[in-house]
Amino acid sequence: MGRLILKDISKKFNDFLALENVNFEVEDGEFVCLLGPSGCGKTTILRLAAGLDSPTDGEIFLDGKKIAGTNKECGFVFQEYALFPWRTAKGNIEFGPQVKGCSKEECERISRHYIDLVGLRGFEDHFPHELSGGMKQRVGIARAYANKPKLLLMDEPFGALDAQTRNIMQAELLRIWEKEHISVLFVTHSVDEAVYLADRVVVMSARPGTVKEIFGINLPRPRIRTSPEANALRDAILRSLGSEIKRAASI
Amino acid sequence: MKVDSGKKGLVINLLSLIGLVVLWHLLVILARENIFNIPFIRLRDVPTPVETWYALIGSLFTKTYGPALTVGILEHTQASLLRVIEGGIIAFIIGVPLGIGIGYSKPIGNVLNPIIEIVRNMPPMAWIPLAVFILVAGGSIFIVFIGTVFPIILNTIHGVKSTDLRLIDAAKTLGASGSQMITKVIIPSAFPSIIAGLRIGLGVGWMAIVAAEMVIRSPIGLGYFIWNMGELGRYPEMVAGMIVIGVIGYIMNISILLLQKRFVKWVD
Repeated sequence: MGRLILKDISKKFNDFLALENVNFEVEDGEFVCLLGPSGCGKTTILRLAAGLDSPTDGEIFLDGKKIAGTNKECGFVFQEYALFPWRTAKGNIEFGPQVKGCSKEECERISRHYIDLVGLRGFEDHFPHELSGGMKQRVGIARAYANKPKLLLMDEPFGALDAQTRNIMQAELLRIWEKEHISVLFVTHSVDEAVYLADRVVVMSARPGTVKEIFGINLPRPRIRTSPEANALRDAILRSLGSEIKRAASI
Repeated sequence: MKVDSGKKGLVINLLSLIGLVVLWHLLVILARENIFNIPFIRLRDVPTPVETWYALIGSLFTKTYGPALTVGILEHTQASLLRVIEGGIIAFIIGVPLGIGIGYSKPIGNVLNPIIEIVRNMPPMAWIPLAVFILVAGGSIFIVFIGTVFPIILNTIHGVKSTDLRLIDAAKTLGASGSQMITKVIIPSAFPSIIAGLRIGLGVGWMAIVAAEMVIRSPIGLGYFIWNMGELGRYPEMVAGMIVIGVIGYIMNISILLLQKRFVKWVD
């Protein structure tokens, strides 16, 4: 469950070609990071996979089913959290189960499970504006998980957090992911983050966005951020990315 | 008017009101003593604050003098308030769904916007003749409705249109259907705007009812009361009625603000 295939994806916005011939897969239960210069269409790929937009060319499959219209089998985690401000942490987490028509007890049971899983115990009844950035994103992650998705799409979820909180949240995310084992497609512009988190890193080229290189990260978890192997990988990815960033700047 | 919540602010707020009363008293006394007068204003005929106060106390309750019955200010106030509440409820029931429809659906907006843009520019007072000559009943409630419904519609449209698109995306990926999108995302998101519309609308409705009661000549209501007192030359009662109108309008405004604070806990 949770195998995502992008096949010959192109996306045009009016005359602007954002993506061209994008091909890659996320295996069942795999953690894939999407890395690239800004404006290379990383977020567009997530939106296409979520069915919030449709590709101009090509097809996307989740577990063999072609995605057409909003893909309700994936969870989306947004950089700016996108929590419903009028709902408490618990209310946000229960949104998915509620619209699916779960009973009140069922919603309670699900939210309690994910509140515990992401470490929000004691903050259930807080409104988003009463929570710190890291706490908000815990709610965002729990809300996505509570919908029982086959695939988690994360759009720079820790981009707005300070460095320390960011490290903590990365470790937390891996802990949750190892427990629930749902495939993750994670967009970031941080090479550090990608090397720490991913099974594979997809490096994209700029304008039009396409897959440039894919790196496998076969390091055991928990990973040491400064191990020689991690440093070597970071170096290789940075070099691959560096030429793209230069190219993007010159366009 | 927004009253400062700090203690120091409260003192200044009170001093400001006291200052107004003192200035009012001085102007009337100086005019009566022929020391100072503002041209074209018969300041000597204006009641002093003290006279107004006694007039207010004296006419609070309904009284009978032999066969004659004088309706008290409290009863007039009740009548006016009831009209505003009735007109306001009708305006809310009609205005909110209209605003949601116009804000959410382009076709509905295209059909209704031109109508609303013309009609909302006819002030409630311009509808009074129609209410007097054509409507069989409920003329003053109708005037309140006209004054209240447009602020509600416009603020609802604004609230619906400013719904965060990311929240709509989030709800979509969480599986919300079209109608769930409206009930669980659009309406809660627009709620503070809708309440703001109600608040502004009731303010306009309150002004409109006073004007309507003067013209429609319903024998009860604060507008009727101050007009009637003016005609009878009982200026202290007239001014007392005016002050009651101001205070009631202020209380309505504050009550809705407090209600909003109580129910919309999620706005910082």
